[in-house]
Amino acid sequence: MSNSKRLNVLLIDDEPERLKALEKALHAIGHHVVCQLPNTSDLNKHVEDNHPDIVIIDMDSPNRDTLESMATMSKNNPRPIVFFAEQQNDRKTMSDAINAGVSAYIADGLQPDRVKAIMDTAIAHFDAHSSLRAELESTKNQLADRKVIEKAKGMLMKHQGCDEKQAFETLRKLAMDRGQKLPNVAQNVIEVLELTNGLQNR
Amino acid sequence: MSAPLALEKNSLKIGFIALLDCAPLVVAREKGFFEKYGLNVVLCKESSWASIRDKVSFGLYDAAHMLAPIPLASTLGLNGNKTPMLTALSLSQNGTAITLSQELYLQLSELVADWDHQQHVGEKFKTLINRNNKKPVIATVYPYSNHHYQLRYWLEENGINADKDIQLVAVPPTKMLSNLSNGVIDGYCVGEPWNSLALMEQIGGLLTTGHTIWGDHMEKVLGVTQSWADNHPQSHQALIKALYEACQWAEADQNRTELFELLSLPPYLDQAASKLANYHSPYNMQQRFHGESVNAPDLAHGSFLLKQMQKCGQIPASHVVDDSIVKSVYRHDLYKSWIA
Repeated sequence: MSNSKRLNVLLIDDEPERLKALEKALHAIGHHVVCQLPNTSDLNKHVEDNHPDIVIIDMDSPNRDTLESMATMSKNNPRPIVFFAEQQNDRKTMSDAINAGVSAYIADGLQPDRVKAIMDTAIAHFDAHSSLRAELESTKNQLADRKVIEKAKGMLMKHQGCDEKQAFETLRKLAMDRGQKLPNVAQNVIEVLELTNGLQNR
Repeated sequence: MSAPLALEKNSLKIGFIALLDCAPLVVAREKGFFEKYGLNVVLCKESSWASIRDKVSFGLYDAAHMLAPIPLASTLGLNGNKTPMLTALSLSQNGTAITLSQELYLQLSELVADWDHQQHVGEKFKTLINRNNKKPVIATVYPYSNHHYQLRYWLEENGINADKDIQLVAVPPTKMLSNLSNGVIDGYCVGEPWNSLALMEQIGGLLTTGHTIWGDHMEKVLGVTQSWADNHPQSHQALIKALYEACQWAEADQNRTELFELLSLPPYLDQAASKLANYHSPYNMQQRFHGESVNAPDLAHGSFLLKQMQKCGQIPASHVVDDSIVKSVYRHDLYKSWIA
């Protein structure tokens, strides 16, 4: 491992604004972002090619399981990555990270204090972004789209017994999984749930 | 009927992964079994087992749909974050399989005379690996899973070294189909619906099922932390009772059509479930939600899982683990006292 203070960071995040902002912030505290990936198809290769010291990944990314598998399989890998907590043993930071929706995997043998600064920066950016996201979403969409999204959210809240935040997350994940735009997914959710309620009231 | 339970908490958050075997959770919510036991449950869809584990460990969720080995791995601290967990209910039995790409499957089909004879299939698979000049790339989803151990077990039984003769990689379940069809991987071992979907879309062929490899075994469980269980014994009991009834409902033949309607709702499996509704797999994966010895946490399988973790090096040889840990994780005793 290099002795320089500069660490190689791999960022995996589907939110382009957050990704860019975090890259800038990590750069400002003297680290190098080796690679930033939206939903990637070959994570194995990116990790092997870029030798990151630390991987920062959106908690909601399905690639987390892939990283954890790589960590256990990497007997031949010169830089095994371990789960953040294994090295840190810092429940407070872990808890803050989980609540902010960020997780991290770290090359074995890295000094905890250097990692802590990166984690704190990532957590701060994820926290800030989640409060901004709702606002961004509402200004980005046309009025008609916004109405559809609001209606779908309301129906999901009623059907799932959940709060507004989770209803919005459900819509967002559906849009990601189906590869469709949010208003289209919202329209479909309204149709499906209207049909379901109709069946129940029969 | 006995007196209603004095619930310590009645609003619960439960995490799940969009697999066929999350059915008991969906049924318990949609068919009112949670309500019957005074529970108001929000089901939260997650994208990874890692997040399920973390959110349960740190109390963001009260409980979750988990792969059977996860509570044990978490109690042992194998994935870094050591949080004692337990399960008092197995949600499902079996349901995994190994699928090969269409190309590899056709090559193997030319060699295999009897698909029911495991040893013969294994021998021919080994012959094929030696003949092709390329190690097959086989994917699994998560290191602490029946699928991962089953794949290793089957390979080893047939004299194939999982670390040398094949290339083991990890891929998220949602990417399995596309990676199989575009040749990034040559096969995978996962749970349903991903095997049936590959067969339906004719991008893969079935090598063998988890049930064929191991016989009946618990697949998914309801996991909670030890401390949650200690602090919410009545709510835990209500949860297990509600889910047990949901398991019975989900298994009943006459409910199958409705079950798929419920699963295909957008917050659950969404469109993947509607594809499967009318599909009858040519292979029986023996996936069950209820029946003789399906729902009781299985101590024997727990001990077996502990051995698999040791065998593939997840537990270092220097780390001596007493088998009594199995009893603290797979709580057959709680199940016995709650489910009459």
